[in-house]
Amino acid sequence: MENPRNVGSQVGESDMECSDNDNDCFDDDDYYNAVDDNDIEQIDPCKLDPENFNYQCLGEEQVERLLNESVEYLSYNLKITPSLAKVLLLSHQWRVNKIIEKYRKDASDLLITSRIKPPVTPPSLPVSRYITCPVCVIPQPSEKFFSLSCAHLFCKDCWVTHFEVQINQGISTAISCMARDCVVLAPEDFVLKHLSRPNLREKYQQFTFQDYVKSHPELRFCPGPNCPIVVHSSENKAKRAICSNCKTVFCFQCGMDYHAPTECSIIKKWLTKCADDSETANYISAHTKDCPECHICIEKNGGCNHMQCYNCKHDFCWMCLGDWKSHGSEYYECSRYRENPNIAHESVHAQAREALKKYLHYYERWENHSKSLKLEEQTLENLRSRINQKVMAGVGTWIDWQYLFTAASLLAKCRYTLQYTYPYAYYMDVGPRKELFEYQQAQLEAEIENLSWKIERAETTDRGDLENQMDIAEKRRTTLLKDFLDF
Amino acid sequence: MAATRRLQKELGDIRNSGLKSFRDIQVDETNILTWQGLIVPDNPPYNKGAFKIEINFPAEYPFKPPKINFKTKIYHPNIDEKGQVCLPIISAENWKPATKTDQVIQALVALVNEPEPEHPLRADLAEEYLKDKKKFTKNAEEFTKKHSEKRPTD
Repeated sequence: MENPRNVGSQVGESDMECSDNDNDCFDDDDYYNAVDDNDIEQIDPCKLDPENFNYQCLGEEQVERLLNESVEYLSYNLKITPSLAKVLLLSHQWRVNKIIEKYRKDASDLLITSRIKPPVTPPSLPVSRYITCPVCVIPQPSEKFFSLSCAHLFCKDCWVTHFEVQINQGISTAISCMARDCVVLAPEDFVLKHLSRPNLREKYQQFTFQDYVKSHPELRFCPGPNCPIVVHSSENKAKRAICSNCKTVFCFQCGMDYHAPTECSIIKKWLTKCADDSETANYISAHTKDCPECHICIEKNGGCNHMQCYNCKHDFCWMCLGDWKSHGSEYYECSRYRENPNIAHESVHAQAREALKKYLHYYERWENHSKSLKLEEQTLENLRSRINQKVMAGVGTWIDWQYLFTAASLLAKCRYTLQYTYPYAYYMDVGPRKELFEYQQAQLEAEIENLSWKIERAETTDRGDLENQMDIAEKRRTTLLKDFLDF
Repeated sequence: MAATRRLQKELGDIRNSGLKSFRDIQVDETNILTWQGLIVPDNPPYNKGAFKIEINFPAEYPFKPPKINFKTKIYHPNIDEKGQVCLPIISAENWKPATKTDQVIQALVALVNEPEPEHPLRADLAEEYLKDKKKFTKNAEEFTKKHSEKRPTD
């Protein structure tokens, strides 16, 4: 809430981190400062950086505090117990003002629809000294009986067992009255009053906490395994969040891997499709191809798709096996899929073949960049040892070579975005917008391959050329996101 | 066991109520958690026979719901070939500890008499029921005659 300025960019770029302190690597702020273009001050950060996202990583106590603010505010305003305030907040996605508005309009209706009060006011029964509990059918003195607002009386022992059974099934905020057809919910204080076993109380509180966080539109559990961090942001958007604890990078909206420029629903469709069609697509996973010139077998062991045959020195593109000379940034087209313009008139078989061909085109590139990302992690290792040798041999100092890690980290960031442009393009309708998208995608791809090539071969501490290439690649990436990141 | 007292009470109540549509209740004295009985539907096409069912109560009863199984084959959209039945009142989400077994049985008898093809266990029968009711009734009647138990005479 307060002071949210670029919390996201304080965090290192996940797995491409190069040293242990936190102000290393590529950092948006440093980057823009370095290229000296933040002389305009009052500008919306989203305009400068389409991926700008304000969020905080919170621990459990901080989340509790944040939730309690709403609870206390509502409880004070409506003069109700904090426990009932929680029931209302949970069923209204924590929209405090909406609840207050509804309460002022028709308090009774709000309490009934929120399952705090029964739809019909229960008749006040004459209470006798002994009552038979309808659940365990044991008669007991009336002071052992309790009910919710619906006045359905049950003995304490039965309430306790009911809560235990429910909690052991993972149910907490949804526990309701034991009477048939009664929908009244058991609020927190009622449950806790009856639970004495400490481990069950703890379990119950843990489950309610999860329900509260999951129902809150501004909160997300970090999807990292066993990570207790909750990410808080007031914008519920498909933006990149990086966990400060486990460094998991994920989409705030859907909790999956970050996927700009593709939308949550589209990436889900794409991943399902890839999982379903994986058998067909598996043949692509081969790591070797023959050189198109001298036909010697080449294994791809780096991320760069601009290949040079170690035998005949022929330069070619790993993706299309075409001459690399035709892959200059002005006419790079390897990323574009050329649809058959007459496909509507072809037979069903031809259409199916075309559909598969189209899918495979995008899948191959998606998969290839994902592989390149992994291979570039290896490159980073090689880089480390190469730099060590250089420093030992007296060529520059360790500090002089740092820029290569910054470059590698930027490369990973760019290639990651590039990977996720393929599902986006796959689901786009044919038209001028797709043409523009594929044009920008091609430009980005060309610059990324140039950058990758230069990083793998950097031999001097002369950083000018490489930094120029970094600048171009990142500009291409942000341009594409600015134009197409519309959520 | 907490379940025992409640089940003894329920069993006594049901036996005394003289329910026509559920009878011949047999309970093994050593195990009150398993009941057997005969469902006697009133509506065609099932009124030509009777159907044996088994009710299994969990040890946590009544905090967890009982399970019902048909021991007699039945041609019904909501009961599958294994005798499993989909009855909302005893599903884990809907179960209420204060629900009594006789209410469960009444819900079951109502379902047998009036199939609910909207949420079927056997999609083929549900489709037949909705598209060709006559054919469904005929098939169900033949099936009942062939497989069901004899109806009690009184």
